[in-house]
Amino acid sequence: MITRLPSQGSWIARLSQPVLLACGFAILIAISGVSIWLVNQARKDAGAVAHTLEVENTVAAIQIFVRRAESAQRGFLLTRNADYLDLFDASSNAIGPALEKLRALVSDNAAQVATVDGLIPLVHRKMSEMQRTVSLGREGQWEAALQVVVTDVGEELMRTITQIADTMKAEEDRLLQLRTASASASAQWLLIVSIVGVVAIITVAGVSVHLSQRTTRALRQAHAALSVINEDLEKRVEERTADLQEANQEIQTFAYIVSHDLRSPLVNIMGFTSELEELRTDLFHRLEALRLRAGDTEGAQDEALAADFQEAFGFIKASIVKMDRLIKAILDLSRQGRAELQPAPVDMRILLDSITATVAHQLIEREGRVEVGPMPTIVSDRMALEQIFTNLIDNAVKYLRTDVPGRIQITANETAAYVTFSVSDNGRGIDARDKTRVFELFRRSGPQDRPGDGIGLAHVRTLVRRLGGSVILDSELGKGTTFKVTLPKALKLAHQEDE
Amino acid sequence: MVNHVTIIMVEDDEGHARLIEKNIRRAGVLNDIVAFRDGTSALAHLFGPDGSGAVNAGRALLVLLDLNLPDMTGVDILRRIKENEHLRRSPVVVLTTTDDKMEIQRCYDLGANVYVTKPVNYENFANAIRQLGLFFSVIQVPEAK
Repeated sequence: MITRLPSQGSWIARLSQPVLLACGFAILIAISGVSIWLVNQARKDAGAVAHTLEVENTVAAIQIFVRRAESAQRGFLLTRNADYLDLFDASSNAIGPALEKLRALVSDNAAQVATVDGLIPLVHRKMSEMQRTVSLGREGQWEAALQVVVTDVGEELMRTITQIADTMKAEEDRLLQLRTASASASAQWLLIVSIVGVVAIITVAGVSVHLSQRTTRALRQAHAALSVINEDLEKRVEERTADLQEANQEIQTFAYIVSHDLRSPLVNIMGFTSELEELRTDLFHRLEALRLRAGDTEGAQDEALAADFQEAFGFIKASIVKMDRLIKAILDLSRQGRAELQPAPVDMRILLDSITATVAHQLIEREGRVEVGPMPTIVSDRMALEQIFTNLIDNAVKYLRTDVPGRIQITANETAAYVTFSVSDNGRGIDARDKTRVFELFRRSGPQDRPGDGIGLAHVRTLVRRLGGSVILDSELGKGTTFKVTLPKALKLAHQEDE
Repeated sequence: MVNHVTIIMVEDDEGHARLIEKNIRRAGVLNDIVAFRDGTSALAHLFGPDGSGAVNAGRALLVLLDLNLPDMTGVDILRRIKENEHLRRSPVVVLTTTDDKMEIQRCYDLGANVYVTKPVNYENFANAIRQLGLFFSVIQVPEAK
């Protein structure tokens, strides 16, 4: 069963978070940039307005200076009082710098520069005209001075100056209006941009919150679905495990029943064979007695018959013994499959040393030796471990080659939860074709020149599996064999896991 | 064993039954041997038509019991004998092919008097049965109540 996780809008959800974040940042940056620019713009506009006002002020000041100089000149000429001359001098002295200032102020505006350039000579002419009358007055030539005034040239100049000043003022007023408008526009834009920014940020935040809520919801749903699947999976694993255990139990029971039921007829075969043997003895005795009574002394034929009988009995009995051994092997195997395991700490070094001690005399016969490397202590069933390694070491010794000194190495390789024990020999090796076959009951490999029924490795495999491990072999024919037994460091019993 | 003791042999395998009888006889045991090939008929004989076991009151019985019967396990017969007020003192000899430790323990727990595993090797088998026969010839068997 495959349960689809909810995928609706998942790509949006997947994309949206970083995209939204990027959007938010982009908007913030844009708004900040625009705001800075606008603030800058507003400051510039304000500067321009101030500049315009200063220009107007300066123009007004020049006019005032000229007017004041003129009224001082008139007062002097009317009253002939030299006191007026101080005011006149102060005013005419101030005009020069004021004109220069104006020139500098309008230097950014070509039209105004031209106007100012037109104004300056006029002012100078007016000033020099007034200067001349004042000079004439000082020299006492009052009439000549009045003559100059009467020409109306001064008045004409004054009017022109006023006109030009008005033009400049009008121009500056126009600029002022423009700049004020621009400044207020900047301020307005700043406000708009700020509002838009705030709205955008709020929108992004809202969408983000919404999306993250949706993501969270989807995640929660996925979690729920996953936990349902997990539960289902666990349940199915449990069911499967139970099935397997049941199947295993059935096989064990089957093996037990089969071996048991096979034994029963075997007892009969054996029993009645023995009874037949007895009968044969009786028959031959009777035959001999009858033969002797009949006067026949030739017993060669009877002896031949007896020999045939004996041979037949021999085969029958040997087969029965063998069959009994095989049945016993199956029984033992089924018993091992059912025996209760008792996990306890086992020092593998001690265990292996005691096993190798039992094969010491065989090793001496074969000029062999066993090397046991550093060994860990594992928690497992001691009996099962003893049987596993006894079988492997016995096998290694049994199949050592006779042409080279035997060498058996036992090493351990630890991982986090498992230990792999390698039992390597330099014996005759196992054909690649027999790699899995040798683990089957009653199957053997190579020349059948050593005693054995093909039981040991079947036991090894059964026991290793019961201990929650696995066994494999590497071998090269004529070079040697390595059995690798991987066992958990700590044996867990199935029924303990259930609890 | 006095002559009036009857040996009840519950053994589904005819061959086994024959071999057992032969070897018991060889030990000089001449008591009656009543053989049953299944549990049902053995139970019918032991407990009678009313199932109370009263039918055998006053008789001395020795039961030779195989555990693997076609219709039931001998363990059930053993249990019923040992739970029955009339029969519970009758010696029960379990004679079977099983040498499973658990099975042996269970039989003794239920009150089996002797548990013998049938050896496959006939010599041993014959020997065991003969010794059992010798054992029968010396033991006392009480009468059923």
